[in-house]
Amino acid sequence: MIVQQLFLLSILLYAAGAVASLALNRAGKIANYASGISAFVAASAGMAAAIPVFARGTGFTMEAAGVIPFAPFVIRVDLFSAFMLLVISLLAAATAIYSLAYQEEYAGRGAGVLGFLNNIFLASMVLVVASGDAFYFLVFWELMTLVSYFLVSFDQENPESVNAGFIYFLVAHAGAVMIMLSFIIFFVHTGTFDFASFRNANLPPATKHLAFLLAFFGFGAKAGIMPLHFWLPRAHPAAPSNVSALMSGVMIKTAIYGILRVSVDFLGASVWWWGLTVMAFGAISAVLGVLYAINENDLKRLLAYSSIENVGIILMGIGAGMIGIARGEPVLGVLGILAGLYHLVNHAAFKGLLFLGAGSVIYRLHTKNMEEMGGLARRMPWTGFAFLTGALAIAAIPPLNGFVSEWFTYQSLFMASTSSLLAVKVLSPLLAIMLALTGALAAMCFVKAYGVTFTGPWRSNRAREAREVPVPMLAGTAILAAGCIALGLGAPVVAPYIGNVASALLGTSPVRVSDGLLVFPASSARAVLSPPLIALLLVGFVTLPLLIAGMQGGMQAGRRIDAEPWACGYKYSPRMVYAATAFAQPLRVLFRPAYLLRTTLAGPGYTIAAYGKEAVVYVARVESMWKDYLYGPLLRGTVRLGKRVQALQIGNVRLYCLYIIVTLVVLLLATVR
Amino acid sequence: MPGNELLPIGLVQALLVLLVAPLFTGFSRTLRAKLHSRKGPGIFQNYRDIFKLIKRQEVVPAQASWVFRFTPYMVMATTLLIAMVIPILTLQSPLGMAGDLIAVVYLFTVVRFFFALAGLDSGSGFAGIGASREMALAVLVEPTIILVLFVVALLAGTTDLGTISQKVAAGEISYFSPAVWLAMASFAVATFIETGKLPFDLAEAEQEIQEGPLTEYSGRSLALLKWGLYMKQVVVIALFLAVFFPFGSAAVVSTSSLLVSTAVFLLKVAGFYVIAALLENSMARFLLFKAPAVTWVAFGIALLSFVFYLANV
Repeated sequence: MIVQQLFLLSILLYAAGAVASLALNRAGKIANYASGISAFVAASAGMAAAIPVFARGTGFTMEAAGVIPFAPFVIRVDLFSAFMLLVISLLAAATAIYSLAYQEEYAGRGAGVLGFLNNIFLASMVLVVASGDAFYFLVFWELMTLVSYFLVSFDQENPESVNAGFIYFLVAHAGAVMIMLSFIIFFVHTGTFDFASFRNANLPPATKHLAFLLAFFGFGAKAGIMPLHFWLPRAHPAAPSNVSALMSGVMIKTAIYGILRVSVDFLGASVWWWGLTVMAFGAISAVLGVLYAINENDLKRLLAYSSIENVGIILMGIGAGMIGIARGEPVLGVLGILAGLYHLVNHAAFKGLLFLGAGSVIYRLHTKNMEEMGGLARRMPWTGFAFLTGALAIAAIPPLNGFVSEWFTYQSLFMASTSSLLAVKVLSPLLAIMLALTGALAAMCFVKAYGVTFTGPWRSNRAREAREVPVPMLAGTAILAAGCIALGLGAPVVAPYIGNVASALLGTSPVRVSDGLLVFPASSARAVLSPPLIALLLVGFVTLPLLIAGMQGGMQAGRRIDAEPWACGYKYSPRMVYAATAFAQPLRVLFRPAYLLRTTLAGPGYTIAAYGKEAVVYVARVESMWKDYLYGPLLRGTVRLGKRVQALQIGNVRLYCLYIIVTLVVLLLATVR
Repeated sequence: MPGNELLPIGLVQALLVLLVAPLFTGFSRTLRAKLHSRKGPGIFQNYRDIFKLIKRQEVVPAQASWVFRFTPYMVMATTLLIAMVIPILTLQSPLGMAGDLIAVVYLFTVVRFFFALAGLDSGSGFAGIGASREMALAVLVEPTIILVLFVVALLAGTTDLGTISQKVAAGEISYFSPAVWLAMASFAVATFIETGKLPFDLAEAEQEIQEGPLTEYSGRSLALLKWGLYMKQVVVIALFLAVFFPFGSAAVVSTSSLLVSTAVFLLKVAGFYVIAALLENSMARFLLFKAPAVTWVAFGIALLSFVFYLANV
């Protein structure tokens, strides 16, 4: 009984915080505290409601008649919903602490409104994953979209934010329509909006495929899978950083939740090519997402592109799992879903952390351009350390959490490679290659992200004058950094719980994935991994070179920290440092087909007489190929079609009368027949 | 399931790699000199270099943060760990419970990550170029490595390195299958690239970009970082040998079998270095953008090996 009350308490606290924050809008700082503290307490209540569900292995249900006669209001929290609730609450708690100081930036610029929107946003996400009924699911889904739209375009003075918000609004609604259609298919066959009865809807095969595809692409638009991703790298960075963390960390995960709910829970993932489709879209999103991320010099856009990559990795695991279910291999099913869900929570932790870290940097420097950062690890050591933890985790560096979930993804792809179905047997190893490529690219991307931002010389005066951020912001990032380490080293403890979520979702018996300090994919003969052991040995072995150096008297030799880097005998200047653009240059050449490189050269040209008089301007811009090859033609086609249709509408009243008569005749004929 | 009774052997392996790595690179230097018709420094020169440098004062750029100073230790620690996980002296992985071959591939990423980061941290333009190249080359090689290892792991039915070694040594995964020798050829190319030998000596290109990320290192840090990189070379070769050439490693653990397998391992690595020296000295360094020509060939061979695996020839 108590869990229901805790859950309600959590929702009420979010709502109360929202109202209080709005009411105190004029008070600025107090509004921040009202919204931040209530969100933190609400998130704690949410965690307290979710954890018993894990411990007991059974969920809870709440029903109310509701205001609408055909759809009762149902809250149904099963193991999967509780898992999502926990992930959302964890990130909500960290961002709530962070925002106590961060939102002071917005004092006098609608801090209260920001707090209001933020709390409503959190509550709507919690309600989306807890809804047990399609009607209210869509209501809360819409609420989530709407509130996040306001958050994206919060900075009304910036035309980019407004524009990004508009595109987001359009795409989110196109997706919502598809989700709605998918649910209507279920409604037509069951006569109710209750999710419980969706499970027993016996759809005919063709309808089943349609329901799956509508849900996959509808939710996929929200998750940012390629090629429906283009709104994401605009919208996520435009929002205030604590909101970006929530959008990239958990909002896109509600879409993953939706995909799993519909395709695995309702439809039973009964067709093998569904899994393959999910995997293929995942792999493409992963590789291209990170390729675009590397070439971004806007720190927040880089992170947003990398979210597309990580959604791709999550989908690769889930796709492998869906193939397992369809082929009657429950072990592969559980493992794949486990890999996907593990990466889901990991991504929430490290992407939340990285966005908050980026927010801290922007809070001090007021620029998103990485070329103006540099050397911040010496000015903001704690932020730098937390950001490095996140960068290592997202680059899948063992023993941190990103590696553990990618390892499980590899293992599920490995198991799928032994399938009896040729298509799966051929494609699974090829997808593993794409995962490897993604891994190598992600490592390069985050060497750049951390290296250019936090190391080397200061690249601008603002970077030179930066200071460490206030304690609440540090605490917010520190919680998530600790989360990344705990989810990695604690894999033997965490993995079985996530495995239980996966097997409960599939309705199969649990699969053993850990023993002592080890994790393994169902059988320890297949492969084992021990993140705690790796961590222990790495720490242990660091002492060995220290010992060697000490024994050799190296310690007395000391070190001089005043040198300037060698610059071929010239005077060193920080402008000689390798730029962010240059760092990514090899990839722009190696993966030329994926990018559209636009270079313009303006100036006096290459005549010696003209050379010294004017500046030569060289601009290189990287754009994604989708804009030219997919959206451009689509847009031009639509406009052309519009022009054709326009021919009907020439302003002649007599012609319009004719249209009406023709329509009437046709309709009459149709009814009479 | 791999147990922990072989842990002492793992420590012996780590120590062995630590001690012999400068010897092999010294051997490689001498071979190179001989091929150039020079006398060369002698095979112990790298030990002398390390011991001299380790006593020298270190000069660190004012721009650098702690990452720069920490990297030599991290590189060494990670290679020592990898040396424990790979089956070098025995056919079993002494520390198989720490991770499988996927973990080993990702542990190499740790080395690269910190190496490149240290390059950017030093603030030197040359180090930055080296860092960028180091990561870009990995992007080209990593897919090949994973594909090859996937094929072998599929043949063995496990990603555990020890089991793979045992099955190859026992002939269960046999060279008569084209899938295996094509995989070996492809992995040999990848190994050669990963050792950073001359045509692919892109990150540290001595004459061109002043040894890349090493540019600003000096004294103790330089000694330890160079030592770590020497060890990385040996460990990369050891991984190749463990997967494709485990013959001679001890199947049963006893003092005599371990002594024999140590000798055999040293010979095998020396053999690899001889072949590498011949290749290295018959070629000039590639342009970074010409490197894909070779990596694509390696990837093509790996793909071919996968096709043969599928066809079950």
